[in-house]
Amino acid sequence: MRLYASCVYIFLYFPIGIIVLFSFNAGRHASQLQGFSTQWYGKALSNPFVMDALQTSLLVAFTSALLASLFGTMAAVALQGIKGPVRTVFDMLIYVAVMIPGIVIGIATLIGLVTVFDQLNPVLASIWPGDGTPPKLNMGLGSLVAAHTMFLMALVIIIVRARLSGMDRALTEASSDLYATPFGTFRQVTLPLIFPAVLAGFLLSFTFSFDDFIIAFFVAGSETTLPIYVFSSIRRGVTPEINAIGTMVLAVSLVMLVAAQILLRRGEKKSK
Amino acid sequence: MTNHNDHISKQAFMDELYRYKKGSVTRRHFLNVTGLGAATAVMGAAVPGLLPKPAFAAGDIGDRVILATWPNYHDPANFEAFTEATGAHVQVNVFGSNEEMLAKLQAGGSGWDVYVPTNYTITTYVSEDLIEPLDVSRLPNYDPSAFDPRYAEAGSVDGKLYAVPKNWGTTGYAVNTSHTGGHKMTSWKDFWDMTMDSLSGRTMVHDYQLTTIGNALKYFGYSFNSVDEKELADAEKLLIDSKPHLFAISSDYQPSMRSGDAWMTMCWTGDGKQLNTDIPEIEYVLGVEGGELWSDYYAIPKGAPHMDAAYALINFMLDPNVNAKEVLAHGYPSADAHTNALLPEELLNDPILYPAQDLLNALEFGAAVTLTDPNRAELMARFKSA
Amino acid sequence: MTQRARNWLLLAPAGTWFLVMLLLPLTVVLVFSFGERAPAGGVVPAFTLEQYANLPARWTAFKNTMTLAPIGTLASLLIAYPLAYFLAVKADPKWKTILLVLVIVPFWTSILIRSYAWIFILGGRGLPALLDWVGIEGVRLINTPFAVLVGIIYGYLPLMVFPIFVSLDRLDKRLLEASSDLGAKPWATFLQITLPLSIPGIATGCMLVFILLMGEFLIPALLGGGKVFFVGNALVDLFLQSRNWAYGSAVAVTLVLVMLITVTIYMRLINRLGASREDVSIM
Repeated sequence: MRLYASCVYIFLYFPIGIIVLFSFNAGRHASQLQGFSTQWYGKALSNPFVMDALQTSLLVAFTSALLASLFGTMAAVALQGIKGPVRTVFDMLIYVAVMIPGIVIGIATLIGLVTVFDQLNPVLASIWPGDGTPPKLNMGLGSLVAAHTMFLMALVIIIVRARLSGMDRALTEASSDLYATPFGTFRQVTLPLIFPAVLAGFLLSFTFSFDDFIIAFFVAGSETTLPIYVFSSIRRGVTPEINAIGTMVLAVSLVMLVAAQILLRRGEKKSK
Repeated sequence: MTNHNDHISKQAFMDELYRYKKGSVTRRHFLNVTGLGAATAVMGAAVPGLLPKPAFAAGDIGDRVILATWPNYHDPANFEAFTEATGAHVQVNVFGSNEEMLAKLQAGGSGWDVYVPTNYTITTYVSEDLIEPLDVSRLPNYDPSAFDPRYAEAGSVDGKLYAVPKNWGTTGYAVNTSHTGGHKMTSWKDFWDMTMDSLSGRTMVHDYQLTTIGNALKYFGYSFNSVDEKELADAEKLLIDSKPHLFAISSDYQPSMRSGDAWMTMCWTGDGKQLNTDIPEIEYVLGVEGGELWSDYYAIPKGAPHMDAAYALINFMLDPNVNAKEVLAHGYPSADAHTNALLPEELLNDPILYPAQDLLNALEFGAAVTLTDPNRAELMARFKSA
Repeated sequence: MTQRARNWLLLAPAGTWFLVMLLLPLTVVLVFSFGERAPAGGVVPAFTLEQYANLPARWTAFKNTMTLAPIGTLASLLIAYPLAYFLAVKADPKWKTILLVLVIVPFWTSILIRSYAWIFILGGRGLPALLDWVGIEGVRLINTPFAVLVGIIYGYLPLMVFPIFVSLDRLDKRLLEASSDLGAKPWATFLQITLPLSIPGIATGCMLVFILLMGEFLIPALLGGGKVFFVGNALVDLFLQSRNWAYGSAVAVTLVLVMLITVTIYMRLINRLGASREDVSIM
């Protein structure tokens, strides 16, 4: 059993080891090791487009995760108290949203929005007051965040509802029996209970959005996220720079994880 | 580090000045480190004309320009020099085929400022209203008379200039001769026959319709650009038959050729040159039956967000000094006489860049119709999904 | 504010979002799938079933997807289950969290970069060179369905391990003890208690992986060398190379339908399985 587990871990980490190893390669070509060097880390960090792409990715991931957790939680709470056709419709929408492959979401969003924009832009131009250039609707950060949020919202609703359904209804009823306002009940009873689920939803959403390539590939317009940058650089031939970027993302995630673990442990000790 | 913009010792100043003269640091670095930058800026503002005029004052053209181009196609140092001269950073987006570029532009909002269409696509861009006519007055480095018209004429449509030549090249194949058993490869017939014979599982073809279908058509001696249904059917049969023998369908063939996984691949001039330089057993072959001759251009897509920067970048790349460095890096021939005057003799006589006249004569330029022909597009897709 | 009005208000943003970003794009795709290809690409509105009649031209892509997706899901399950079992039941509780986290960590490096590492490992200078050295010659791995399968298992293993781990971890260990105290063989305990109780986790994991595999594009593109073609690759090609939006829309609609049908049948089966196992449920 233990031996088997070790084998699986080797399988999981062997490619990671290769990535880290080649990020220190002195040579340019990814298929030959030519001595040790850290130059690619410097190159990656001083490359303004890597930094731009990283910034875009962080911005998109943060915004869509935030919007998705906010609207998703709102919807989940409301759906808890509804029955009938509205609920059925929402259940179906959520089902469809998580079921549809990312590639179809990407393509549908692209041709859907492009078609709508083509209709709207002339209208916008004709009603635009003054003689400045009218704004033009285009694919870009907005469409990317909107597409991510749609998909992630469905995910957050599912996670939060799972938590809500396990929640004791007597608690909220008791709260309103004690004349708490609905908002008061929400803030003091419901929210603390569902908060772990909301947080989990946010983190999961952030990860999904940050790592998404396929939706962004279609709807990001002229914007470059980190996965898009990596994809387009890989076509230029994999340089150790790409491996360095991967290693750094991995290292930062690990540090954040360890930090979170330490914070959690401290919090536990304090509360004891 | 201390704030050495304010204080710099005499010795350090002389060192920096020496380095600047030697050319090992840039003017900007020199001015910054020595604090002269601030001083000249203040004086320059007070006394007009004192400030040395760069080609473009920083900030004039914005801080960025986005270029859509092909793999292994530029000298990165030239982009750094452009940024140095203008303050605009160059973002390079790499694409695999003209079809992909066209698809991205048709879907709207590509966000590119400059792109690099191939000769046969330009009329389609014009008819689809996706390309900006060029204002020659904003390209002082463009000297039409210096270009071989053969590689420049596709840039004009109905007498209007839409694109200026970047470089030209051929599409042949690269073959690792240590695996051919002494067989001298000379034709597209050799290419496909060997694919299905001793090079089985080791051959790569491009991932777009023009050359993959075109070079299959050449096996039968048909035109590279054929859209004839019967001829395309023959090509399809050859492609489907050879598919089990292919190593991959990909336009990114350098890594596999270098690692030894692939032994033969459809190949463009520059990649052939780069591979041959590093691994001499890899030879570049032009099929005796013909094949593709092409010319790539710089152009500006409609609605480019940084129009001024786009003109600045194209003009910069047309500078013969810059272009010569490009040629040395990518290994494709330039059609510009001014550029060629700066290149070493051996490169101008290189048989990969400049093939023998009889081989060159057999080549065809890609035809616009192939780009939009639905049968060719669908044939390629059937081949890939077979 | 009434309860009703408040619920509407809470649902409004999500509802609007789904309407604009899900229903509208899907409607456009559906409408386009009945259209015709424009001369230079794109779409001309029409009402024709021509695109659907053309679907057999992508039969291989559907076939590849419909075989490699279930195989990939099954293979991931077979590899993930023992690991999840080890983590939930056998592993030292002190190390449990760490070991679990170690399963997801590879997930934080872009799938693109990880797949490139596999290109190197499966390429001629990687594993085949090693095999050659021990005397097994002429093995070719890269750009084969096998390479795609390895990439798939590698990419989606954590998604399978987690749900199974969660369902096994919830399992009351005393049940296992009771079973062996009553003289059941380890295998019998596993088959009669552990496995049935972990069915929800297996079901979730398989569904997650299967859904993602059905729309897969990157792994076959990178590790299959353009030779192992999934529906996802066909779609990317239709929209980004041949620019045939009408046909592409028809393929997309078909893929969505195939998925909805498969997944709905699958969920029915799982529910029935769960229902018939009510006898062992302790919750």
